[in-house]
Amino acid sequence: MSKDKVKKREMVFNGIPAAPGIAFGEAFVVNVEELPVFTDIIEEDEIEGEVGRLQDALTQTEKELSVLHETLGESMGEEHAKILDSHLMMIADEFMKKETIQLIKSEKLNAAFAFSRVIDKTLRTFDQMEDQYLKERAGDIRDVKRRVIRNLLGQKVEGLANLRKQAIVVAKNLTPCDTVGFNKKYVLAFVSDMGGSTSHAAIIARSMGIPAVVGVNEFSVKAKPYDQIIVDGITGQVVLNPTPKTVALYREAQVKFQEMERELLTLKDYPAVTLDGRKIELSANIEIDEEIDDVISHGAKGIGLFRTEYFFMTRGTLPGEEEQYRYYSNVLKRVAPDPVIIRTLDIGGDKIASWVDDSVETNPFMGWRGIRFTLSRKDIFRTQLRAIFRAAVHGEARIMFPMVSVVDEVRQAMTICREVKQDLKKERYQIGENVEIGIMIETPSAVAIADLLAKEVDFFSIGSNDLVQYALAVDRGNSRISYLYNPLHPSIIRLIRDTVQAAHQNGIWVGLCGEMVADARVRGTLLLIGVGLDEFSASAYLIPEIKQIIRSVTYDETRLLVKNALVLSTATEVQDMLDEYLRDKRPELMDFVPKGPV
Amino acid sequence: MVSGKVKVTNTKGIHLRLASELVKAASKFRSNIMISRDKEEINAKSILGVASLGAEFGTELTLKIEGEDERDALNVLMRLFEDNFSRGEDS
Repeated sequence: MSKDKVKKREMVFNGIPAAPGIAFGEAFVVNVEELPVFTDIIEEDEIEGEVGRLQDALTQTEKELSVLHETLGESMGEEHAKILDSHLMMIADEFMKKETIQLIKSEKLNAAFAFSRVIDKTLRTFDQMEDQYLKERAGDIRDVKRRVIRNLLGQKVEGLANLRKQAIVVAKNLTPCDTVGFNKKYVLAFVSDMGGSTSHAAIIARSMGIPAVVGVNEFSVKAKPYDQIIVDGITGQVVLNPTPKTVALYREAQVKFQEMERELLTLKDYPAVTLDGRKIELSANIEIDEEIDDVISHGAKGIGLFRTEYFFMTRGTLPGEEEQYRYYSNVLKRVAPDPVIIRTLDIGGDKIASWVDDSVETNPFMGWRGIRFTLSRKDIFRTQLRAIFRAAVHGEARIMFPMVSVVDEVRQAMTICREVKQDLKKERYQIGENVEIGIMIETPSAVAIADLLAKEVDFFSIGSNDLVQYALAVDRGNSRISYLYNPLHPSIIRLIRDTVQAAHQNGIWVGLCGEMVADARVRGTLLLIGVGLDEFSASAYLIPEIKQIIRSVTYDETRLLVKNALVLSTATEVQDMLDEYLRDKRPELMDFVPKGPV
Repeated sequence: MVSGKVKVTNTKGIHLRLASELVKAASKFRSNIMISRDKEEINAKSILGVASLGAEFGTELTLKIEGEDERDALNVLMRLFEDNFSRGEDS
């Protein structure tokens, strides 16, 4: 407790709810910014000092890595620990050290610059390697370099690995590298200044089952270490220095949330079947393999959307075939015999990756993204497809192409798939033979030609987020017009109905993998059951809720709801009609009605 | 000085983890141990050096060892390569 009598004032911040739950605790502010290396030349009498600083930084880095090494064995498995072992050896490499000291002495480079030069020379030899797997190891060397440089620049780093007691982790932004090596049991919740609901902090939080709020402007500056914080991952509110009254209010909300969670989780082993016997596949959306346990514990059957861009973007370099093969194989094995729909790289739009291109598009959402990107970067596309087809021997893999707007794209992609399979067979690889290939339906043009697209593929999955944005021509992030973003709008219901009809008339199945269920909750879910969707895929935490809704209604009554909705003119009318039905017929589902608009 | 030729039998080549095993083994000896591939020559006790060889499956390497325990060192390191760092076919 601090001695000063000045009471800290309660402040409420609003962010994006990224993982549900309520947490109370002290702030642990993480500082992970990287500093640039200066190319200053030093004076003769500074040489000794620089050599000493190098030594100190190496010792410090070794200590950090040793701590990581200990923690990692427990939290991330032996494989990671072995990699750290080789990182430790790099730090201890006498030849690297000698060469750096030599540069400091003979060329009077500052320690950070000299060290960079030595490591960069090694890295250049990696660039020239032909063996893709060996080449990829350069990432490890870069990682070590970053650590040493950080220590050389004398930055006080409050790394997550230093967390020694339970706290709420507050950061400007959290990258995967920052979250390696922390002890999960100490983290109560995440709050970050930047990011959206698919940012790293959000994903890690959901996989750990702890709350997270992201996009809380400047919070990491306002919150001081040891400040008391409440994180509400349901509404997206973060309270700094709460009064006892506020704490009591949130305690109540927390108890209610936990009760509901417990109740829903009891449904884990029950099937998703309506009262009149219509079975719906319920699967989960994931971004990283660490989310799988959560998927299974929430009772999802398989993965309906495995986003692969995360794996690509978090590394700084393109992952090679072997690395992807191992990554996908692991996911497939763990989820088998249930299916995993692997979406090919969906880069662009809101997720421009630095390694692809630095050019900024004026209209990225209508730009070079999804299948448009992969068809023009066939090298990346082929590598990914090769890895997926090879991994498919380990489970039930399906492939899905994002952002399709014309038939030609599908045909081209299918041709590449056939070629890749032939190549792999020639090279005597074992591959999955019957991998279903489908597409996302997320552009209005894809809906308009859904009957034609259905003849080319094995399944559809409706990407509701983008479909709503494109159909209503609304940027969700623009607060002046975001009121237009409404998945209950009659236009959206019609588009989804048309897609489902086209799919079924052509004998293929159709699912939905957007956040429509997260946005419109029970209202959206009812309509989606009623239009005849075969599969739902959503974030794991929503699975029990969706299952509960499916199990509480009849397919017939939801079909009637859709029929009624299709003759209404506005989103508000649709919402009122659904709410009236819920109040009169299914009051037990009223808990799942979202609080705000939509 | 003694020398010998070895071949990389690990299907993934000498990646970082193998490199660290090689360095560990080499560091147990007092002798100066150099590994060369074509024109390149590196010190076997430097992990950055070994890793930067980029020795993939099938690469031929030459060991040159000089010092009091050169014979033992050559034997141990040659055997390490011959039985693929005590691994099976892969990893």
